[in-house]
Amino acid sequence: MLKRTRSENDVMDPAPSPVSATGKTIIGKQVAIEGGIQGSEDLVIEGTVRGSIELEKFHLTVGPKGKVEAEIRAGNVTVSGQLKGNIKVLDRVDITKDADFNGEIKAKRISVEDGAYVKAVIEVERESQKKVEPVGKANNSFASAPGKESIPLVSEGDKGK
Amino acid sequence: MATFTTLAERPKKHPDPDATQVYYTSNVLRLFAEYLERRQDTQVLDIGPICGENIAFLSRRVKRLYVCDMFLRMDRDRRKGLPPGRAWRHLDYPPQSFDGILLWELADRLEEREARKLAELCYTLIKPGGKVVVFVPGEQAVQEVVNAFVIGDGFRLYLRPQPHLDLPLRKRQNRNVLGMMAPLKSVKSFIYRNGLREFLFQHD
Repeated sequence: MLKRTRSENDVMDPAPSPVSATGKTIIGKQVAIEGGIQGSEDLVIEGTVRGSIELEKFHLTVGPKGKVEAEIRAGNVTVSGQLKGNIKVLDRVDITKDADFNGEIKAKRISVEDGAYVKAVIEVERESQKKVEPVGKANNSFASAPGKESIPLVSEGDKGK
Repeated sequence: MATFTTLAERPKKHPDPDATQVYYTSNVLRLFAEYLERRQDTQVLDIGPICGENIAFLSRRVKRLYVCDMFLRMDRDRRKGLPPGRAWRHLDYPPQSFDGILLWELADRLEEREARKLAELCYTLIKPGGKVVVFVPGEQAVQEVVNAFVIGDGFRLYLRPQPHLDLPLRKRQNRNVLGMMAPLKSVKSFIYRNGLREFLFQHD
């Protein structure tokens, strides 16, 4: 049988890897980690983590059973479990109704579901001072029909601003 | 579902299918937003019920938005049989931290003594000249459940029921509300045809 030398174009068999086919790592319910985690792929935490987590542009998910106490830097973060610490992300943070979050959030976008147990300080990065709706130009098209506006209380009216 | 009988219907193509049909344009919210625009590096506290829409609205207008859902905390304490006063430990911010505080309808879910305690806390936490927003629900149907006052476009507020919260409502006259919130001073108030009342208080 002829033996063929391996060329550069040959496809190598992939080495066994702890990474799942979907390119994310899962820290299971029975796992506890204390220390720093750095990674370049998505991470799902269902166990316990204390320390710091840096995922560059990737997605961190704290699952419903997850308990995390950490400083976090990531691309996006979804919180459905317990998280105590500060989050700084490139894009968005999603906090679901099952979450228990206590800490600071710096993000471009944030969504919070009703019922989430949250105590937070939130700083939303404003892209080149995005225009907010001018106060004086409210759209009253649906609620400005005659007889449908508020009536200032006479006794409590203009006492100054 | 709670509905206001005297306000306009919600537009049929509202982007949020979960929003209730109840909405109105809030004068106090508009005044509060105007006030925030005049201040620099503002810090505002929203004590809930917290919802994503309000966080989006407020975080674009302030430097730092603090959220601490006191409705959920009081509800949990109540279910555990803890006295309502214990919940104030969560508002552990330094004095004069905030330019504005949104109390929504929390004061009307408290007994007189606790409501006064809340007002005193607000007085401590707010900066001189700072504003406090207080709502008092109107119609009976609206009072049955705790509502989140969800901020929409054009300073419209949608009432979204929060059935997971069980906090009884106390019915108060205007003078009771004003007396209860002392030492904060009422600077503006509005009553709507459905009976809902909005108050803007200020720390002198």
